[in-house]
Amino acid sequence: MKQDLQNRVRSAVTLDRRSFLKASAAGAAAGLVPMPGFEEKAEAFAYEPYPRDDDLVTVPTSCAHNCGSRHMLVAHKKGDVIVRLSTDDGRYQKDGEFGKDTEEEPQLRACLRGRSYRSRLYSPERLLYPMKRVGRRGESKFKRISWEQALTEISERMVYLKTKYGPQALVDQSYAGASYGVLHKSDQIEGLLGRFLGMFGCRTSSWSVPSYQGTTFSSRMTFGTIEDGNEDDAFAHSKLIIMWGWNPAYTFHGGNTFYYMRLAKQRGCKFVLIDPQYTDSASAYDAWWIPIRPNTDAAMMAGMAHYIFTNNLHDQDFIDKFTQGVDEGTMPDWAKGKENWKDYILGKYDDTPKTPEWAEKICGVKADDIKKLAHMYATTKPAALKASWSPGRNAYGEQYNRMAAGLQSITGNIGILGGCAEGVGKGWHSEAVAYPYDQFANVWFASIKSDRWAHIVLNYPNVKREEVGLWPRNDQLDGVVPNIRGIFWQGSDWFNQLTNINKEIEAIRKLESQGDSESLLVCMDSTITPTGIWADYLLPVATHFERHDVALPWYKGHYYIHRPKVIEPMGESKTDFQIFTELAYRLGFGPQYNPRATREYFLNNDPVDEAYLVAWWDKMSHHSHVDVTWEEFKNLGVYKFKQEQPHVAFRDQIEKGVPFQTASGKIEILSGQLANITDWTKTQYGYEIPYIPKWIEPWESLNSPKTKDHPFHMISPHPRWRTHSIFNNIPWLRETYEQEVTVNASDAKKLGIKTGDMCEIWNDRGKVVVPAYVTERCMPGVLVLHEGAWMDLDENGVDRSGNPDFLTLDNPSPAGAFAYNTVLANIKKSDLDHRPVWDKLATARSHVFRRDM
Amino acid sequence: MAAELDKAKVKEAVKARKRVTYTPVVPDEQWGFVHNNVDCIGCRACEIACKDKNGLPPGPRFRRVQYVEGGSFPEVFAYKVNMSCNHCAEPACLPTCPTGAIFKRADNGVVDIDSTLCIGCRRCEASCPFGAPQYNPETKTVVKCNMCIDELEAGRKPYCVMACMMRVLDVGPIEKIREGSYETKAIGPNDKVVRRVRNMADWQLTNPSIAFVPHSKAIIE
Repeated sequence: MKQDLQNRVRSAVTLDRRSFLKASAAGAAAGLVPMPGFEEKAEAFAYEPYPRDDDLVTVPTSCAHNCGSRHMLVAHKKGDVIVRLSTDDGRYQKDGEFGKDTEEEPQLRACLRGRSYRSRLYSPERLLYPMKRVGRRGESKFKRISWEQALTEISERMVYLKTKYGPQALVDQSYAGASYGVLHKSDQIEGLLGRFLGMFGCRTSSWSVPSYQGTTFSSRMTFGTIEDGNEDDAFAHSKLIIMWGWNPAYTFHGGNTFYYMRLAKQRGCKFVLIDPQYTDSASAYDAWWIPIRPNTDAAMMAGMAHYIFTNNLHDQDFIDKFTQGVDEGTMPDWAKGKENWKDYILGKYDDTPKTPEWAEKICGVKADDIKKLAHMYATTKPAALKASWSPGRNAYGEQYNRMAAGLQSITGNIGILGGCAEGVGKGWHSEAVAYPYDQFANVWFASIKSDRWAHIVLNYPNVKREEVGLWPRNDQLDGVVPNIRGIFWQGSDWFNQLTNINKEIEAIRKLESQGDSESLLVCMDSTITPTGIWADYLLPVATHFERHDVALPWYKGHYYIHRPKVIEPMGESKTDFQIFTELAYRLGFGPQYNPRATREYFLNNDPVDEAYLVAWWDKMSHHSHVDVTWEEFKNLGVYKFKQEQPHVAFRDQIEKGVPFQTASGKIEILSGQLANITDWTKTQYGYEIPYIPKWIEPWESLNSPKTKDHPFHMISPHPRWRTHSIFNNIPWLRETYEQEVTVNASDAKKLGIKTGDMCEIWNDRGKVVVPAYVTERCMPGVLVLHEGAWMDLDENGVDRSGNPDFLTLDNPSPAGAFAYNTVLANIKKSDLDHRPVWDKLATARSHVFRRDM
Repeated sequence: MAAELDKAKVKEAVKARKRVTYTPVVPDEQWGFVHNNVDCIGCRACEIACKDKNGLPPGPRFRRVQYVEGGSFPEVFAYKVNMSCNHCAEPACLPTCPTGAIFKRADNGVVDIDSTLCIGCRRCEASCPFGAPQYNPETKTVVKCNMCIDELEAGRKPYCVMACMMRVLDVGPIEKIREGSYETKAIGPNDKVVRRVRNMADWQLTNPSIAFVPHSKAIIE
């Protein structure tokens, strides 16, 4: 059995052509001409015998990992094995044909991660059976157990912990790593796990989103919605695109954003990049690069606002008509005596005009450059200031996003084609839910800032509500800090991905010291992840190739992709919906949890899943005026919506005078909600947040006295060759890039570091070891270490993988933004061990193919 | 895999090979790649699509996106040069092959390798100025890009081209590409293509069938 699988996997991954044909015998050869002999060689295909695409079964599906996009994958399979993957080529849509790729309906071409899925599906790290820990937590010792044993033990422990420790004992740390389909959804807020734990009556939820909570806060306060985004095709219509901390060449937000920006460039659009790094986006769009000290973006924006106001370049009509609190004239009656934003910028309240010269001292950008950019932005129409998420992942990151909304407003670039109000940037509204959705969708008994769970465990019960961002309630549980006894990780590698990992390890050790029966850690995934290593139970979740669903973009893009069951689930893996349903039956609420199913569902989920999807399709296609049936959709593979004009957020507000979704109906540069808070400790924020956008000194930056011991500012952006931590184990991708720290060339010279040298990076929280990439493309004083490397501790607790979250601080910004990019550290050459991934043989060849002339 | 070679067949091939004097095949219409060095975001989707299509283990990479960067902070620049096999008009690899495993197709000029004849001597690997033929340690043979001839024959384009998210990589009749008469998204409305850019070997060595939209810093006078 085991040997069988290994062979199957090997032939699938490396596609040894000769053995492939042997194994599949005569049937495979149908249509292929046997090798006639060398004298006819020029006639033969070099790799004969070789299964051509047209000899294989073609099944359109999609990728499914947690990035800001969603693309098509087309599986070419033989029997139950996927032989290779291709992507959208224009054939799988209504009226499609090979090569069709229009601006209106572009192909949805998968990125390098999507193209490597076969290697992930059949990887040695694939989790195929339920496993139970036999060593200490984190020791990587597990044994295989039956589903019966796993589900019995887990459900018994759940009941025990809930009875003994109350309805807040179990933390929901679901995330979007396993599933983002309409039916199978792992989601932080209201996915399958949230509903399961909520119905069970024991759930502490994690409310702050690691990626973009600062931005979410800003968008909600300012616009009253996070749907403040244009669709990606709108970018093709800008005359100026300011990429603020935005690297669309790495972080794919929308199926074709990067491509539409190329079209914009061809049509004369100018590009600017504000970023500590000269990214590939800067080079591809030929952008003017403005290097900026990390975490000082709000100051530079204030300087731009000052220039625009004092030179009378602002759009006063727009301000008067659509905004609240930009200047004295737009102050609401109730706010007399409160500060307005313009007077704050001009220094009326603190005698500090936020001039470009003032900003230069903070952000390191020359005042002249700030003025030049402000002038460009205020005088080019339409112009898109795309305020990306990463500068918001900072101490007071929400101020950066609020400040950006201020600039977008005073230049009148909101609600017009080619402008931009992002923000969160969610565009087209999709219908995302086919699974049961009712009053249990998001029930919780405590809700905390997501990276504070370890702090709670370690300090319980001496924890104040404002320290952990308890969301207010209207009952006796209001302000009650949870006594955390367990975590469910569903499609989530949060142990590896939240801040300050050493503190998390301490928290696990504390739980462990109180006895095995007093806590429960469950990890549900298709891969054995670094988080799984710390769990008590590992439950194998079928991948999206092994279950029926419909994929949708969540961020930008207007299409649905059918995701059939391409192959049968490998090993004993089950879908997460099957697992929760069966657990719910054991806990007494099975029929409520999955109303269309019987207990048979654990053994055969196909008819029930189909029924859910058909019901979703009927509802959705009615709302959205889809002109194909479910059966036609299944035959095609993808449905692309055609829009009369590119979707632009707030177009109706600007063109038709529809009120904004805020209480005032205006763009709230002065937030009414914030201005009226009196007791901040009783809010989920815990600490005061200014009601107008302001510059606030972060707790660590290159301007702080702490640089004496830790002179470098480390940032940890998304890598391109992983999605967070997903795909870190894929050899094909490991070959293309290396986990490495980017160091400025002059800094490196002082430290005696050359490209490829092993370095250690450390601060008071931890130490990691990683090779250096020395370049002129990074500003001095800044280190770049991409997030998501799989933690790999040596015996002294040093991380050999180079995971930046050993150095990050678990202190979120008041609005909930993770302070991933607010980190000071030090670096030196090192002879400590670095391991690129869990196996020692892995070496990237990226250095062979790159770098200096 | 080398152990499974039919030795008699190889012997015969060597004999046949020796009698032939090498004159490059002149194809009916030479096909080649075009790559936009500037607009490429360097995502390497083409590389992975190729690895998947050809079932390659870690090691050989038919398609290679080279990262080039220069300048001094803050005046820096960067661009990408993306190459696989250039299916040269005068391939250097072909005459080095002792068994005749490497051949050039008469219809489209694709330089191909017959894996059943390759003995893994790696001479071709050493002879190519662009690093196209590569050794596969699993099969102990040399493997290389064949422009996805199976896809071309089916009326489609190679996997790498169809993978390109930015639509900066394309394939077609190389003369038409060079003249600018071939319709392709790889070449923008104001772009001109060149035969050679910095960071690549002199095109006169083998007359590679490739064209680039060059970065201003990569143009060779």
